[in-house]
Amino acid sequence: MTARPLVTVYNEKNEATASQIKLPAVFRAPIRPDLVSFIHDQISKNKRQARAVSTEAGKQSSAESWGTGRAVARIPRVRGGGTHRSGQAACGNMCRGGHMFAPLKVWRRWHRRVNVAQKRYAITSAIAASGVPSLVQARGHVVDNVAEIPFVVSDKVEGFRKTKEAVSFLRRSHLWADVEKVYNSKRYRAGVGKMRNRRYKQKLGPLIIYGQDSAIARAFRNIPGVDVLNVERLNLLKVAPGGHLGRLIIWTESAFKKLDAIYGTPSTPSELKKGFVLPTAKMANPDFSRIIRSEEVVNAVRRARKVKSTPKVHHNPLKKFKLMAALNPYATVLRDAAHKKQKV
Amino acid sequence: MVDAKKLPQVPETILKRRKQKAEIREKIKANKVKAAKKAEEKKGKIFKRAEKYVTEYRKRQQDQLRLKREAEKSGNIYVPEEPKLAFVIRIRGINQLHPRPRKVLQLLRLRQINNGVFVKLNKATIQMLRIAEPYIAWGYPNLKTVHDLVYKRGFAKVNHKRIPITNNEIIEENLGKEDIICMEDLVHEIFNVGPNFKRTTNFLWPFKLNNPTGGWEKKTNHFVEGGDFGNREDQISALVSKML
Repeated sequence: MTARPLVTVYNEKNEATASQIKLPAVFRAPIRPDLVSFIHDQISKNKRQARAVSTEAGKQSSAESWGTGRAVARIPRVRGGGTHRSGQAACGNMCRGGHMFAPLKVWRRWHRRVNVAQKRYAITSAIAASGVPSLVQARGHVVDNVAEIPFVVSDKVEGFRKTKEAVSFLRRSHLWADVEKVYNSKRYRAGVGKMRNRRYKQKLGPLIIYGQDSAIARAFRNIPGVDVLNVERLNLLKVAPGGHLGRLIIWTESAFKKLDAIYGTPSTPSELKKGFVLPTAKMANPDFSRIIRSEEVVNAVRRARKVKSTPKVHHNPLKKFKLMAALNPYATVLRDAAHKKQKV
Repeated sequence: MVDAKKLPQVPETILKRRKQKAEIREKIKANKVKAAKKAEEKKGKIFKRAEKYVTEYRKRQQDQLRLKREAEKSGNIYVPEEPKLAFVIRIRGINQLHPRPRKVLQLLRLRQINNGVFVKLNKATIQMLRIAEPYIAWGYPNLKTVHDLVYKRGFAKVNHKRIPITNNEIIEENLGKEDIICMEDLVHEIFNVGPNFKRTTNFLWPFKLNNPTGGWEKKTNHFVEGGDFGNREDQISALVSKML
């Protein structure tokens, strides 16, 4: 499937323009959900902030063990008197008011380093997946009336200043249904995140990738669910959110044209990513069942050997005459002779 | 192949597969007919062989009788041929065995109590049987014993597996080279101690017999002392029929 068809560019009113761009080679990169999932997992750890329990938590008591001989457990106990607290156990993970087991430390390894080549592989995979309508739909985007996937739009969109313009563009292009999905999905987060400034959750809508730095982000940023990215600085966390392939991506014409320069083609290496060549798939034709059922393979392969089923149960031929006759065809003659003799 | 306006009703691959399947079915039918014919021929062959053997055994028996009677008539004694075939049964269990008889029993493939094997008798094997004497009962089986053992308790050693002999194909596949293709051939080869005796008996797994109905006399004594072990010559047939 390394054919690279022409992709039509649409204008902001969703009419097909005359210009057509050859599909960038990135879209034929191998789609590796396992790799994308792994890399996404690693990368998403890099924005974490350290958290830990206070170093003195549960240890701020001058408790000392009473030792043996006093008919109490040997756990350290609070000194002094005059209050309930005196003589109570302290300083153990099992004690009330004591420190926890294995107090959390800030020097936990929060971040993960990922090989650059793997990061680049993941991004190309995610971009390739965004060009497959079934994957985009499977991820949950509403793409019923979208003109073409990958969806490329003229650079006029990069000139938008007002959110009104952005909204009417999305409506015209039949992408508003995806945004409406986002509106309808806004709900409270389950759990304590609610009171930690993460009150709401909602789905993600389309992702807009632009080619030239402009104020496009300002037009689109207030529309819930819509993300905006520069094509030279793609973020896997946005292109494959949750580690799942197939985000609905709206490319501007200049961004789409830049892809061949950024990622290269099988014949030309990338101009912007040093030493990067598009990954190649392990199987040129991945339709394995089709291959093994093809005429060429079937004719070249020998017959399947029938494993001889060995008889397990043994019946006694001396008692079952049919078996006897099967083993020794002469047995019928002998039996008849014996019968005759008996009769006489 | 397809006119530009209308596609064929049935996809081409399905039509192709139908044709292929029909061809395969024809082939299978033809092969079945061939196989049936072969089976018929083989059956005829086995029939003739069995017939031949029956006359052979009968002739041998009559011969022995005739020679004996002739000798008696002229006041001589007829000394029949020394027996060539023995059937050996292991009588005792596996504990407390002296290493030498233990090794002999292993060589005879008698690794379990009440296991039986056919043995060709010559100086070497007779001496082996003498070493293992207290642990075995042996003798010279008659035709009926051999026949019944092979049919009722005959299992083949195929691919290191113990397989019941449910049809003659098993025998033919393994002993076809020695021209032994059916049960009757097996019996004949064993009873006559033919040139392929060793291969034949080795093809058979050691016979696993029951304890004799009516019990043993005394396993710890020799047969001549009123016990069970040792050479009991023709009486082995009676014992085997109780253990079969």
